Amino acid sequence: MNFLIVGFGAAIGAFIRNELTLLQSKIPVDFPVITLLINIFGALLLGIFTAQIHNGAILLLLGTGFCGGFTTFGTFSMELSQLWFQHRLWRCLLYFVLTYIFGILGFIIGIHI
Amino acid sequence: MVKEKGKVFLLLLIGAFIGSNLRYAESLIFKTSNGFPLGTLIANLSGALLLPFLIHYLQDRYNLSSQVVLTLSTGLLGSYTTFSTFTADTYRLYESGQWQSLLIYLTFTLVGGFLLALLGNYWAAGQAFNDYVRSRRK
Repeated sequence: MNFLIVGFGAAIGAFIRNELTLLQSKIPVDFPVITLLINIFGALLLGIFTAQIHNGAILLLLGTGFCGGFTTFGTFSMELSQLWFQHRLWRCLLYFVLTYIFGILGFIIGIHI
Repeated sequence: MVKEKGKVFLLLLIGAFIGSNLRYAESLIFKTSNGFPLGTLIANLSGALLLPFLIHYLQDRYNLSSQVVLTLSTGLLGSYTTFSTFTADTYRLYESGQWQSLLIYLTFTLVGGFLLALLGNYWAAGQAFNDYVRSRRK
């Protein structure tokens, strides 16, 4: 039963992530802003869910499933490596720092709201 | 590019279903006695290595359609890896004062994730080069 809950939550998360990522080509900024915002917002949401939801199944659906599928470490790392290979080292460092600092901060804010 | 929304959802459903449950299974299999998030770490590091390899090698090598690539990259590997759980793990280790675990987890995720993504690119380029050399020999 649990695997259905996790899978369904992750599918919704991945779909919304994909819809948002499509916007990246439409914005005139040469920086992976969308993935950055997805990961920060997803961490904030997981903080809120962790603090507010006490039902195990619902937390599995929204936390492990939805937030887990919505946020992504793979795409973030891949974008970092792309910036690195393009020799845009300052952007690479900025993306790294912004993601980790505001991601962790987002979760902490979420859990204390 | 896959256009129809219903089809996109179905492909992502398949990919995300498999990816998220692989991650979930790893979090159960690699459960540690001191609560070190080994499952999340393994999922994130292996996903960081595999994504560039898929995009820069497997896609061309096997002529994967955009549907298959969307399912495997955005769907499967995108959901297999997670950033939000990483932040939750970090906070949990910090709150419980497990400094050694926190330091190891942060180092492996921050440094390891980046290095493995670089390695995934080199792996892809190396494989492509090998294929090229082999094709020239024939």
